[in-house]
Amino acid sequence: MSNEALLIALLGLPFAGSVAAGFFPANARNREAWLAGAVALAVQGLAWWVYPEMAHAQVLRLDLGWLPALGLNFTIRLDGFAWMFSVLVSGIGFLVVLYARYYMSPADPVPRFFAFFLAFMGSMLGVVLSGNLIQLVFFWELTGLFSFLLIGYWHHNAAARDGARMALIITSAGGLCLFAGALLLGRIAGSYDLDVVLRSGDAIRSHALYLPALLLVLAGTLTKSAQFPFHFWLPQAMAAPTPVSAYLHSAAMVKLGVFLMARLWPVLAGTDAWMWTVGMAGLVTLVLGAYLAIFQHDLKGLLAYSTVSHLGLITVLLGLNTPLGVVAAVFHTLNHATFKASLFMAAGIIDHETGTRDIRRLSGLYRYLPVTATLAMVAAAAMAGVPLLNGFLSKEMFFAESLEAEGPLRAIDRALPFIATAWGMFSVAYSVRFIHGVFFGPPPAGLPRIPQEPPRWMRFPIEFLVLACLAVGAFPALTIGPFLDIGVRSLLGAQAPSYSLAVWHGFTTPFVMSLVALAGGVALYALLFRYLARGEERTPLLPAIDARLIFDRVLLVVSWRWARSVETLFGTRRLQPQLRWLVLAALVAGVWPVWRAGLDAGPLPWSPIDPGLAAAWAIGAVCALGAAWQAKFHRFAALMLAGGAGLVVCLTFMRMAAPDLALTQLLVEIVTTVLLLLGLRWLPKRIPFAWTSAGARAALPRRLRDLALAGGCGLGVAALAYAVMTRPLPETISSYFMQNAWPRGGGTNVVNVIIVDFRGFDTLGEISVLAVVSIAVYALLRRFRPARESLETPPRPQDADDDLLVPAVIMRLMFPMAGMLAGYLLLRGHNLPGGGFAAGLVLALAVILQYMAGGTRWAEERLAIRPSRWMGAGLLLAGATGAGAWAFAHPFLTSHTAHLQLPVLGELHLPSALLFDLGIFSLVVGATGLILIVLAHQSVRHPWN
Amino acid sequence: MNWSEHLPIVPVVLPLAAGALMLVLDERRSTLKAAISIATLLLLLVAALALLRLADSPTAPVYALGDWPAPFGIVLVADRLAAAMVLLAAVLGLAAMVFSLARWHRAGPRFHSLLQFLLMGLNGAFLTGDLFNLFVFFELLLAASYGLALHGSGTARVRSSLHYIVINLGASLLFLIGVSLIYGVAGTLNLAHLAQRIPQTAAVDRALVEAGAAVLFIAFLVKAGMWPLGFWLPSTYAAASAPAAALFAILSKVGFYAVLRIWLLLFGGGVGSELLFYGGVATLAFGIIGMLASQELGRLAGYSLLVSSGTLLAAISRSDGAVTAAALFYLVASTLGIAALFLLIELVQRSREPGADVLAVTAEAFGLADKDEEEPEEQSGTEIPAVMALLGLSFVCCALLVAGLPPLPGFVAKFGLLAAVLAPEPISARAWALLALLTLAGLAAVIAMGRAGVRIFWAAEERSVPRVRLIEITPIAGLLALCFALTLAPGPAMRYLQDAALALHAPQGYIESVLGRP
Amino acid sequence: MELIVALLIGTLAGSGVWLLLRPRTFQVIVGLSLLSYAVNLFIFVMGWVRGGRPPFVEPGAVVDFARFADPLPQALVLTAIVISFATTALLLVVLVVARGLTGTDHVDGQEPDA
Repeated sequence: MSNEALLIALLGLPFAGSVAAGFFPANARNREAWLAGAVALAVQGLAWWVYPEMAHAQVLRLDLGWLPALGLNFTIRLDGFAWMFSVLVSGIGFLVVLYARYYMSPADPVPRFFAFFLAFMGSMLGVVLSGNLIQLVFFWELTGLFSFLLIGYWHHNAAARDGARMALIITSAGGLCLFAGALLLGRIAGSYDLDVVLRSGDAIRSHALYLPALLLVLAGTLTKSAQFPFHFWLPQAMAAPTPVSAYLHSAAMVKLGVFLMARLWPVLAGTDAWMWTVGMAGLVTLVLGAYLAIFQHDLKGLLAYSTVSHLGLITVLLGLNTPLGVVAAVFHTLNHATFKASLFMAAGIIDHETGTRDIRRLSGLYRYLPVTATLAMVAAAAMAGVPLLNGFLSKEMFFAESLEAEGPLRAIDRALPFIATAWGMFSVAYSVRFIHGVFFGPPPAGLPRIPQEPPRWMRFPIEFLVLACLAVGAFPALTIGPFLDIGVRSLLGAQAPSYSLAVWHGFTTPFVMSLVALAGGVALYALLFRYLARGEERTPLLPAIDARLIFDRVLLVVSWRWARSVETLFGTRRLQPQLRWLVLAALVAGVWPVWRAGLDAGPLPWSPIDPGLAAAWAIGAVCALGAAWQAKFHRFAALMLAGGAGLVVCLTFMRMAAPDLALTQLLVEIVTTVLLLLGLRWLPKRIPFAWTSAGARAALPRRLRDLALAGGCGLGVAALAYAVMTRPLPETISSYFMQNAWPRGGGTNVVNVIIVDFRGFDTLGEISVLAVVSIAVYALLRRFRPARESLETPPRPQDADDDLLVPAVIMRLMFPMAGMLAGYLLLRGHNLPGGGFAAGLVLALAVILQYMAGGTRWAEERLAIRPSRWMGAGLLLAGATGAGAWAFAHPFLTSHTAHLQLPVLGELHLPSALLFDLGIFSLVVGATGLILIVLAHQSVRHPWN
Repeated sequence: MNWSEHLPIVPVVLPLAAGALMLVLDERRSTLKAAISIATLLLLLVAALALLRLADSPTAPVYALGDWPAPFGIVLVADRLAAAMVLLAAVLGLAAMVFSLARWHRAGPRFHSLLQFLLMGLNGAFLTGDLFNLFVFFELLLAASYGLALHGSGTARVRSSLHYIVINLGASLLFLIGVSLIYGVAGTLNLAHLAQRIPQTAAVDRALVEAGAAVLFIAFLVKAGMWPLGFWLPSTYAAASAPAAALFAILSKVGFYAVLRIWLLLFGGGVGSELLFYGGVATLAFGIIGMLASQELGRLAGYSLLVSSGTLLAAISRSDGAVTAAALFYLVASTLGIAALFLLIELVQRSREPGADVLAVTAEAFGLADKDEEEPEEQSGTEIPAVMALLGLSFVCCALLVAGLPPLPGFVAKFGLLAAVLAPEPISARAWALLALLTLAGLAAVIAMGRAGVRIFWAAEERSVPRVRLIEITPIAGLLALCFALTLAPGPAMRYLQDAALALHAPQGYIESVLGRP
Repeated sequence: MELIVALLIGTLAGSGVWLLLRPRTFQVIVGLSLLSYAVNLFIFVMGWVRGGRPPFVEPGAVVDFARFADPLPQALVLTAIVISFATTALLLVVLVVARGLTGTDHVDGQEPDA
């Protein structure tokens, strides 16, 4: 098959499998396992298919267009190193699937398990096979997500939930940093393509952004690989089902960090910064992890800390800045995967068979599980670095490297061999404890059940891996040699050093160190035996600080308590502060630009003062101030005062050559007042009270601030208005309207022509607003019942008219007259003040007057109007008038004037705009009527009906 | 004029006709109305797609209403950005409508009409090329949004709507002051015409125009929810009914749209860029804090909206074509995702009621029905019923999108944004700030959403499976499917939005397509 | 003259803002209507023409634009009046309902000390 297809299959198969697995029924354990196993095997097979190419150090590459606009392709890139990891990931993956088939209980929802598992494997491969940094981060984050779901698989127990969440938060925080780092790297290299980045190592190392980029990338890798100080999430993740641990913490998840560090080693390594950060993190983790592992009582806990420690080892090797160190690192990555996976599985079997993982409760299991015990012993020996096992080889390499190391600080170089030996002793100690504590000693007491050997195929993965440990340990050059070689060569290219995988290098210093470590480790265990037997929880010589607790506490405080207080500090849920902000912002926005430009009044002189008008304005101003003063306690008075101000505005329009405005404003004024009167009685009574001096003092600053804001706004608006009024009017587009109103608009009232024709579209929107509002009002009031206590002292339904002081009789008489007036206004509107809107208001007023005069029932017996029909009809008419133009191949709302010769009236021309106006009229009647009527209905409505 | 020349008006007239028609119809005929609504929305979708194609040209299609020539009459300008926004609105409208058919459209009268008018307002605001007409459509969509925010009534809704309405009334008055001030000095309302005239105004008058524009922008920024003008947003959106909230996800983008359009057109993205940047950053930071601080999912989603608003504002403040393009991509992705989230929240929090049923249908439809289930023994998972699994999956998707993590397009958008922001040499302090804040935002989203998700889907004591209808899951799935499509093949969308952004940054084309070549 | 008009607008706006910032719903609504008066006047005077005649043209006559008041701001004011009327009505109903549901007429739906 073609390499392209192969690459796609390599990456696509796991995801396809995952989706398929998701749709399996819950109880199909076998089918699930078969599917997953098949997928893993297929990937493995595909990997070996291209072995020849890999052996010849070729790089298979496939570019698919992804974001061409941003110069980003979806690139699958398979080189030796990626290949090596693919084989590892899929191989261990297969074994784990096989193991999981027997491990998972029949009650477990396996579809989810295998779906997540395959998706995770896919993401792993995605990272490994990524051909550019962004894509790498893409899959990197996916691994975080799926590991979260896997760790939290048994979400009914709290430990799993917390472990999962912690892993998610830490690794995704790292991932986000890695993303930033990748962006910087790509920016330096000029491309995100991996090949380009790998080629431009020198440019990157010498670039000013090298350090930030390095730190960000390391933030990603060190968190993923659980390096100090981020090591604590890994032990928590042990709440996951054992197969998950066996996979994530041996071959998969935690290896991503070291994978990436190795991958970018040619680019980022070789500097002191690299050595300090990577080396130091690794060194601390190495020792700390091993030391902590000794004192774990939980089998998986012990393995977890040993994993942390071994990852530290790999990190140190990478941090040494020597090619041989890289070789050792890669080698140890493989070895660790093999023995750690098998150990986890063994621990799982023990847990499964005995129902506990607590070393203090376990002992002498050799009697019951001889085979498992033997296997575990070999694996543990490999972990301890016993000769003739694979762990020994990479450990030797590490010891050798520790002697050669040349860091910026001599002291550390000198200390390194001893630190390494100490680490060796620790590892031996916890390995011995694992074996001796569990399999030897007296028979176990008080176990939930009698352990017995697991089924044949559940043990097979362990057998296979242990065999691998032995084979590699005994004949490294034959077994692992070529495999490792492919990885290392593709990684280091020309830099690749020559190294020997011999078992026996002679009686060298590293060998001595190993012996010391072995002897010392056993001795240490013997020393600690009594202490450990006591089974104390805390580790000696270390302050009892629990990184996990600290993390939880910090997370809680920062992301919850602080967040809350900051939210309340910088935010509010109350209205007044928000309005203050709004007003302040507006004030600044309006005044600042003018202030900055040092604006002054325009050139024009003042026009002569019209004393009558001036007096009216004075009254208006007083009314406004009075309303502001009275609104709190004397609502009615305030309403009247506000109305007075409104009337003054009307008067202004009247005198200032705007009769249409005056008319409309007047009508709106009346309707609004009626509305407010109807609404007023539902508000609670306010009894004026004298400010207590204390209350006044408390309120004073607030009121002063508001006063300042109000005054500022008033002055600002006044200043702007004044500045514009004293300037000559610019050459506006209105001249066009004046010229074309009659010839092309068919009307002499230019304002009205603008409303219904030039800017008819505005009007269409405006009447839609009216319609929408009345719908909303109706919807709100339809089911609403006013609070009972506001009905305690209800004015009778009719006596709304007491407020208006107009006898009912007159109002009834007014209806027909109002109707006529409305018609008149409507018809003349195009040429004289008036128009559909005014007419509509008049009619609506007439209607509501009937309600007030006769009361709701009386009115509705006589005139039954369906407001929403009126509205709909009006809108449709207006819309249809506009759409009519389409028939004549004109744009929407194009008006047309029909000239009729009528016998009596003579020539009458009928612009289509009139129809439009009719629509407005109908809508306004409907909408206003609806609002008024539903409000009026409240008056006759009682809580109990 | 052939039909395609009438296309720009269709997104406005279509909802108008439907809404008006449904006013005439009787209240009780909800099935007929549902049919009309869905039909209208499908037509709208088709029209929007056609418009998208039509707009993809160097000169934007212009529609002169009433056949009055450009600077005098009102024109609609369907450039790429406007067309894209119209399409987005249509998609959200359809999703919300389908979702509401399960129950919400019966929760109060005239729901269908309100939704149609909201769409009319949105489309008008996106398409119009006239400043005052923009005001009218703003009012229309606001009025409709008041109605929808109040839809279903109830104390919480009324209380938060009261704030929402008062604040927006204030903003509308500011809008009027700004528009009239600009008219008083520049003497025109047509945007293209203004773009021509403003540079020619004398310096002293220029200050007045800028004052007007500044006041105008305050009104826009209130809608965009910029700190400190956006405190109303989380409460209102959290209180609103699910379909309404889903539509509101685009409502807050209208303010951003207006800022982007007018700022670049009239002022070439020069004046006040620092204010936009700092405002955006403040909003972003406040959104992050709010996400962490909110326990209730609705508020969480509201704050994630603030995060996206802040990101957008801060991004466009650089007035750099590449950044704007990425920002637009981010806008589309985040709007879709957050809308889906709002719909989802309602389902997740829904407690079992006798009314809704058809759980079985959903289960079968997705082939996830769990047959026989043994008693879970010690250390064995309890099967999440299919519906929960489905909701959980959707929730994870929304969370990833909000956090800007793969495989949702939030990641792609963030990459585009940051890559463009970091590109210029040397990296400015602002770029670093944006990088840091976006990273923090991602982390905050992971923490907050993770917390909420674990609480709801994993830690729930007795999990009463919400009764969910197929018709309610479908729109969510659809929106998320669109998101995935944007991840897998972001190419075309990104290309289109890049052209849109470049057009925005070179307004001459816009001006010429409205006023013709000088 | 111009100065007095400006001052009137300023006074209306100032009183409106003051009421807008008060805690009682009724104060807010009155404040908003005062503000809308101010804004309407503001829009209107943006087309300020000294001694302009009402914008009515007689058919066929040659129009000397300078002699008339600017019609466009008037049209804008008309639209603004309608819209502010509508929204005021809505606000009124909302606060009536809010008062009914929350039992108070405080803008936050609860007494500050409660």
